[in-house]
Amino acid sequence: MKLAGYTLKFEKKENFTGVEAAVISVLAILFALFLVGIIFLQAGVDPAMGYYEIFSYAFLNPFGLPLTINRAIFLLLCTCAFIVPMRAGLWNIGMAGQLYLGALSAFAVAFAFGARSDAELPAGVVLPLMVLGSAVGGAAAGAIPGLLKGKFNTNEIVVTMMLNFIMFWLVSHMIKEGGPFMGSGGEGEGYRLPASLQPQPNLGVPFTFWFAIGLTVLLHVLFAKTRIGYQIRAFGLNPAAARYAGVSPFKISLLVFILGGLIAGLAGYHYFGTVPGLFKIPKNYGDFGDLAFYGIICGLISQGNPLAAIPLAFLFGGLTSGGRFVQGKLQLGFGIDYAMLGVLMIILVAFQFFFRYRIVLKKDKER
Amino acid sequence: MWEFWVRSLNASTIFTVAALGEIIGQRAGILNVGVEGVMLFGATISFMVAKTTGSYLLGFLAGIAVGALIGLLHAFFSITLGGDQVVNGMGIWILGFGLTAYIGYPFTGPLGLPRIPTIAGLSPFFIFSVLLAVLMWFFLFKTNMGLKLRSVGENPSVAEVSGINVARTRYLSVIFSGMLMGLAGSIYALDYNPVWNYNFLMGWGFIALALVFFAMWNPLILLGGSILFGVLWQVSLNPEALLPNVFSRYIWRTFPFVITIAVLVMMSTRWFSSRWGAAKPEALGLPYEKD
Repeated sequence: MKLAGYTLKFEKKENFTGVEAAVISVLAILFALFLVGIIFLQAGVDPAMGYYEIFSYAFLNPFGLPLTINRAIFLLLCTCAFIVPMRAGLWNIGMAGQLYLGALSAFAVAFAFGARSDAELPAGVVLPLMVLGSAVGGAAAGAIPGLLKGKFNTNEIVVTMMLNFIMFWLVSHMIKEGGPFMGSGGEGEGYRLPASLQPQPNLGVPFTFWFAIGLTVLLHVLFAKTRIGYQIRAFGLNPAAARYAGVSPFKISLLVFILGGLIAGLAGYHYFGTVPGLFKIPKNYGDFGDLAFYGIICGLISQGNPLAAIPLAFLFGGLTSGGRFVQGKLQLGFGIDYAMLGVLMIILVAFQFFFRYRIVLKKDKER
Repeated sequence: MWEFWVRSLNASTIFTVAALGEIIGQRAGILNVGVEGVMLFGATISFMVAKTTGSYLLGFLAGIAVGALIGLLHAFFSITLGGDQVVNGMGIWILGFGLTAYIGYPFTGPLGLPRIPTIAGLSPFFIFSVLLAVLMWFFLFKTNMGLKLRSVGENPSVAEVSGINVARTRYLSVIFSGMLMGLAGSIYALDYNPVWNYNFLMGWGFIALALVFFAMWNPLILLGGSILFGVLWQVSLNPEALLPNVFSRYIWRTFPFVITIAVLVMMSTRWFSSRWGAAKPEALGLPYEKD
């Protein structure tokens, strides 16, 4: 393309630096938020005011901030669940199903200890087992696509998506219409954990916060320092070459999906088991499955870097909690957080281009 | 019983039309995993237009048009920008999922138009879908243009050398593929179940995607697969007709999804692929750059 004596060219690039990646990502987010601003305008809301309301509710408001933190932990776990298979070149879009099964398993543990009666339970024993249960449940849901991918090379996108629906209905079966986990109100909700199994937030954050941060750091170490992390990355970059180097595709597929599912399972326990006011599988549990798709966005923006996912999880935790709030306050239509999800995703996809090409502006030679 | 079969065939119509769209795109070498997203767009826009104008025709046209537009977007990302087609498809799906939840929300509820006339309960679109499948098969395997289209999906460099414009063929295929997916969404929203709710497709697009693998990229096998899944879907909605009081109705709803996984696994075993696996377009999912 020629512009006023300059030539604009796209040149293919083989790699990009961390700074370049960060700049492209920030630009993509800003551009997407600009487009969502147009949605605000179209709904008759001043975008500047809309964003001011969103961010001030999400990060400054005493009611909004805990909500943001809880969502951020949830998103961070979902992002890590997406990132681990992504580093091996595989798509885990089954975070929703994995977190449903994780939550069901955690509640099954409590159920086995008799949590439906209001008995005093030994929290020191039951809570760790619930956390463990959610991890095992999530890992089991993750093991299915991992096993099928590793053994039969079955398309993991379709399998994880199918499992999302299967687990969605399984939760309904358990909590609705006489299901074993049905709450006493009979309103299609799960039973509520007894007071002894309701961990209270410490310094405003639930204990799962430290879990999530710890896991993120561990993942970073796994990828950066360990042999298996190196094998995962090698497999993701070039499966054929990795196979010649002795990396087993079966082992890698199974491992990354079990690990991803395990982390997503914890996200299920985190939201339904530790957030004050919930402590049950709510009627609208499907909303949290939808929220888990933000994990794909965080994962793509962070380019698979777990540490970069931490600030992103807070940003999107805030945007979604604030988005829900302004919806009511400014009388926007339902689902501004869903619209944001869609716009962010497609802009990110468009901006992938800049990871592969650089724009070169050259002054034409004087003739 | 008639009622059950007719509902099954009507459901199969949507799988057939959407999967035919995916087949033509994949035959030209472009994978679109965002079928569900395009269908959600087609369904929502056609529903909004039909409800506002009161005209079915305008509704369907709008659904097809928005499908074409999304197809164009996918083509631009995948052909011109040469990005990873799975990433692009995911983008299309989440865009459809998110944006239609927002724009369609004020239209939540029934359509409120007289139902499209049926033939003893059978939707006229079923007949249309059968004809379309046969036509598509004829086009792909019996015409010169179909051969060109398939060669683009098998080996684009060779196709280019033999004088076929790869980019143009792929663009046209992907746009047409989007139109069919948009139409499939419109048939769902205007004919099969004319009640709008957010994300109401609940996986139909992903099943259509799986059906393409199941059908080995052949429109006629697809027709059989769609009818099978239409029946499964109806069984899962009304299990009483088949096996009363075995599972809760929620467990029955998992039925088509479980079968999809089982079928996909069977398809991907070495036993199966060594016998039938050659059908997969060779260049599927690979970006092509002219040298």
